[in-house]
Amino acid sequence: MTTLTLTPTSPAVRRTAGLAKANARLMLRNRLNLAYGFVLPLIPLAFLLAGDRGDVGTAGMSLVTVVVMAALFPVFYNILSMTVTRRDELVLKRIRTGETRDLELLTSLALPGVVVAMIVGVAAIPVALALGAPTPVNLPLFVLTVLVASLVFVVLAFWTAAWTKNAEAAQITSLPIIMLAVVGQMALGFPEEVRRWVDLTPGAAITDLVRTSWLGLEGTSTDPTLGFGETWAAAGQPLLVLAAWAALAAWLAARSMRWEPRS
Amino acid sequence: METTETPALEISGLRRTYGTGETAYEAVRGVDLRVERGTVVALLGTNGAGKTSTMEVVEGLAAASGGAVRVFGLDPIADRSETRRRTGVVLQQSGFSGDLSVGETLEMEAATVTDPRPVAEVLTLVDLDHRIDTRVLSLSGGERRRLDLACALLGRPELLMLDEPTTGLDPESRRRVWDLVRDLRADGCAVLLTTHYLDEAEELADRVSIMHAGRIVREGTVAEVVAHQPSTIRYVGPDGEPVVQETDDLQGSLTELLTWAAQHGVRLERLDARSASLESTFLALAQEPEGVTR
Repeated sequence: MTTLTLTPTSPAVRRTAGLAKANARLMLRNRLNLAYGFVLPLIPLAFLLAGDRGDVGTAGMSLVTVVVMAALFPVFYNILSMTVTRRDELVLKRIRTGETRDLELLTSLALPGVVVAMIVGVAAIPVALALGAPTPVNLPLFVLTVLVASLVFVVLAFWTAAWTKNAEAAQITSLPIIMLAVVGQMALGFPEEVRRWVDLTPGAAITDLVRTSWLGLEGTSTDPTLGFGETWAAAGQPLLVLAAWAALAAWLAARSMRWEPRS
Repeated sequence: METTETPALEISGLRRTYGTGETAYEAVRGVDLRVERGTVVALLGTNGAGKTSTMEVVEGLAAASGGAVRVFGLDPIADRSETRRRTGVVLQQSGFSGDLSVGETLEMEAATVTDPRPVAEVLTLVDLDHRIDTRVLSLSGGERRRLDLACALLGRPELLMLDEPTTGLDPESRRRVWDLVRDLRADGCAVLLTTHYLDEAEELADRVSIMHAGRIVREGTVAEVVAHQPSTIRYVGPDGEPVVQETDDLQGSLTELLTWAAQHGVRLERLDARSASLESTFLALAQEPEGVTR
């Protein structure tokens, strides 16, 4: 017989997990939310059917769209609306009178969405390969990209929640961040002078990271030249851009976060 | 150091200011208040008297601008983990996700508490056993309030803060909440309660503090608080004019009035004589202009 030894979980982990479980329950109970989270981001993989097998351009476009949508739907919009709804329901206010700390409360709101985004990101790998995408150059970097992109959009969601009045208003207040996410991909066709600025958006950084990690592409090039090691080096700048956005959003959110509805 | 004599809650000279400079507003202007273990203290006041502003500092949700708050001798902000572990809070308005069931709500709450009571035990305490699978959305106002109490009781609090716990409840639900508060007090729990219902304070509170314009203007047992207030005699005089007479000696004044009426054969229509009540005291104090204390 074996003895089961349970490692004592820290109270912070227990509190966060308990709250995250409730948030996940609520998310799963909302079917439409669930469809948006899981299904919508995978649809762009269908573009692969339109291109030739192994075609770099088509694969790049569809994979970038998958990652951007995973960051936008299950993460950004979902966490934004969940945070605002919990605030409207006065749940955040009540929980804050207890032992739970603010960072645990925020983590519990972020966890379910981030988990969905990671599942989507990982599920996209075999589906993309089956539909004819080229073999990825640096798979760990691709998965890291999905994770980092999710985390950046978590923080952007909290910052947006800080100045979103209620759940309905989120439809409008989410637009600036959605623009920041999609402009990067559109910018591949922009002139160089404009692109230099657009490169600083989170969307462009995600575009670079996906094209580099999966396809070994450098910049706007359509010629796969980077090997496994070189993709890590090429990832430095876009990762820095994402880190800067996360830091900026965290600073803004910490200054302006509201825990109860405006009266 | 905490000893058995350390009160559950001690507030001294508490001040709380909103805003700065020209627009600064002082909502709490030097409040002193003490809640001993195993007692219920009611904090009464009109809207805007500063009750909630005071409660928020005690709950550790806001910092004081001046003075001190000690919960079991500890600072609610500096000693957060310890004070939060030992206190329970029921806010003025419930805060629940309507799509979670009663059981799921308590399961979530229990995960955030250091040493939770079993969910089943808490449900029995607040008489919600039969509603465990019901979504919060479908609960009545009274049931929702009792769920609030259940959440606050999960952590076996030694100090319970109840902000208008029975507002909007039907009479039977109010009675249930009162019985529960009495049981908790009997177990040694200290309770700080704010309420709009003066009968609630009379029923439950060992001591009452009446707050007006940011200050405690009267404090003591209900009898002590009422003692300063004059009694009232009302009647309609022989000329048809209503008369209101205030007196500190109700029996003496009434005897005098009735003797006079008997001697003159006067009938005092609608005669009404009553000692000061908590309600008349409260209303009299609440009507005083700011800054007047007795």
